[in-house]
Amino acid sequence: MRDKVIIAENISKQYQLGILNSSSLKRDLEGFWRNIFRKQSTQISNGDLDKNSIWALKDIFFSISQGDVVGFVGHNGAGKSTLLKIIARIAAPTSGVVYGRGTIASLLEIGTGFHPELTGRENIYLNGNLLGMSKNQINDRLDAIIDFSGVEKFIDTPVKRYSSGMYVRLAFSVAAHIDPNILIIDEALSVGDTAFQQKCIAKMKDVSSQKDKTILFVSHDMNSVQQLCTNAFWLENGKIKAEGKPIDIVNQYLSFAKNATLLKEFKNDTETPGNEFVKIQRVELKQINAIGEAIINVHTALQLSVEFIMALQKPESIMVELLLFTYSGSTVLDIFSPITEMGNGLYDLKFSIPANFLNDGTYFISLEFFNKKAESLFKFQNCVFFEVVDDKDTTSEWYRKCWAAVRPNFPIQITQHT
Amino acid sequence: MVKEQWDWEIRPGAEPIFKTIPELFRYKDLLNSLIKKELTASYQQSIIGVAWLFFQPLLTTIFYFIVFGRIVKVDTGGIPPLLFYMLGSILWSFFNDCLVGTMYTFMHQAHIFQKIYFPRLIVPLAIVINHSIRFSIQFLLFLFVYFGWSFIYGGLSISFSILLIPFLFLQLLMLAMGIGLFISVFISKYRDIEFVVQFLVRLFMFVSPVIYPASMVPKEYQTIYWLNPLTPIFEIIRSLFFIHQSFEVSRLMPSIIFTLVIFSYGLVVFQKREKIVMDVV
Repeated sequence: MRDKVIIAENISKQYQLGILNSSSLKRDLEGFWRNIFRKQSTQISNGDLDKNSIWALKDIFFSISQGDVVGFVGHNGAGKSTLLKIIARIAAPTSGVVYGRGTIASLLEIGTGFHPELTGRENIYLNGNLLGMSKNQINDRLDAIIDFSGVEKFIDTPVKRYSSGMYVRLAFSVAAHIDPNILIIDEALSVGDTAFQQKCIAKMKDVSSQKDKTILFVSHDMNSVQQLCTNAFWLENGKIKAEGKPIDIVNQYLSFAKNATLLKEFKNDTETPGNEFVKIQRVELKQINAIGEAIINVHTALQLSVEFIMALQKPESIMVELLLFTYSGSTVLDIFSPITEMGNGLYDLKFSIPANFLNDGTYFISLEFFNKKAESLFKFQNCVFFEVVDDKDTTSEWYRKCWAAVRPNFPIQITQHT
Repeated sequence: MVKEQWDWEIRPGAEPIFKTIPELFRYKDLLNSLIKKELTASYQQSIIGVAWLFFQPLLTTIFYFIVFGRIVKVDTGGIPPLLFYMLGSILWSFFNDCLVGTMYTFMHQAHIFQKIYFPRLIVPLAIVINHSIRFSIQFLLFLFVYFGWSFIYGGLSISFSILLIPFLFLQLLMLAMGIGLFISVFISKYRDIEFVVQFLVRLFMFVSPVIYPASMVPKEYQTIYWLNPLTPIFEIIRSLFFIHQSFEVSRLMPSIIFTLVIFSYGLVVFQKREKIVMDVV
């Protein structure tokens, strides 16, 4: 049996909601006096503060063995990042204990602490030290870091003169060369251009193939979780909902996430997205011709329908712009609706994405409404958010990750000359 | 079952200080590069660069000399006014910079603290060491002017008690750092404290013997005035250079005790709150 490197027992984390007023000052002062005069325990008694606080994590138990590559999936706010922050010692748990073995480094962001006035080389040292490397370790790896980053020509230039691409390359390069026993990564892969992302994935695979390295990995990209991880946890509302093989966990999560996010109806007025001109009523992303299939894969045809109420003084010509983005924010589509005369009333917008068009990954769609004078009436930023998975067997020898934003089935043929 | 051996454990609550100190040593390279960053980054893209280190105390000295020496006509008790104001302004800005620098620890480093773990105490340490380096350079400038003056006009001499000076500097640093650490954990939650402290520190200069000697203070206020922990520090440093009369160490004792108390209390509060402060920034 492999050694356990992390054991978490009964971890809970409570956050005070950010209400800052005279009563919170009063409470702090009271606590302060109590501490001075009575030496009371500072443990927050339950019930006392329940109204103004939330439990980001509740009673989490788990253990991780050496060499595991563990993926954490779940919705935003499910507690994934909080959990990793506790293991990385950035946030303290409210109760519970984590035991661990070996050195640990966290990559919750790359380029943390980079100073614009310092040169690339100086920043390598500063950032490397922050990530827990000693000066000697950096000296040993300096050439490799500079080489991997591909910015050797500018290494003695202040990084404020770098392009954002160069900056990210250098930052990732430092991160890729830290060599802890346990590595914590949060979304650090969704950076840079695709060519660089490939390099990063390759590096991750390289690290994870070393049998003694343990990686904890939070991502919204279900593909990376499936490709890189040896097991996975699914967190929901601060609790572990399931754990097991990445492929099972990802499928369970996606089929759950589908129902939760692909149909949104806004009934009461307070949460309706919109303003005095436009009010969104309902958003749905449907799979066309799906037979009991729960998960959107690259062969699924999709239809987005949005119901909205227009409230205009007099009828006007309206155009709706639809944007489709990848998770990392690059624009895949920018489509203009036909110009439509609209007044007061309920309208329907329908948009279709054919099968065999999107690549695997996470996408989101936003809508913006314009009048004839090209003034924006309303921007619906996060209209819908969805994941597309690859249908291929990722373990097959023939499997190649497709790196484009889209993957249309354009014909390609190879024939032999006779 | 045999209790397993773990390298580390994470629990709610504060890390005991005896565990932090060896950790600080493991992060000494980070301390170095933070100090280097502070030193190089602050004078980048300025035309005269490091020369500001000299200009700042010189300009302040001239300003004080004109305003307090010539206009207000403060009696410096036989000490050449230029040297008096130069020493006062260098010492005060050292105290002020250390205090204000430390108190912003969490506010200015929030973005790093939220992403990476390292012993948080490294940051205030880097700040005070950085200011100590600047202070040392400025102090050398003072010594240069002092000996120049002595060479031209004569009448100045230094006794062996001057060897006490590093200890007085250390005390000044600990006093500033202790207060700064204590404030730093509250300032991130209640921004109001920032303005109050900035304001009070500015006023505090006028109740400390920076621009005038303590002997100017009326007799009935002398007792209270010497309760200010800065009073004996400033007065003794000055007397080492100019007056040479033996001072009573007993006058320094309350200040030393106050410094030790505020320094250890600041450290304890910082240590206790460093992990939870980031939840509210």
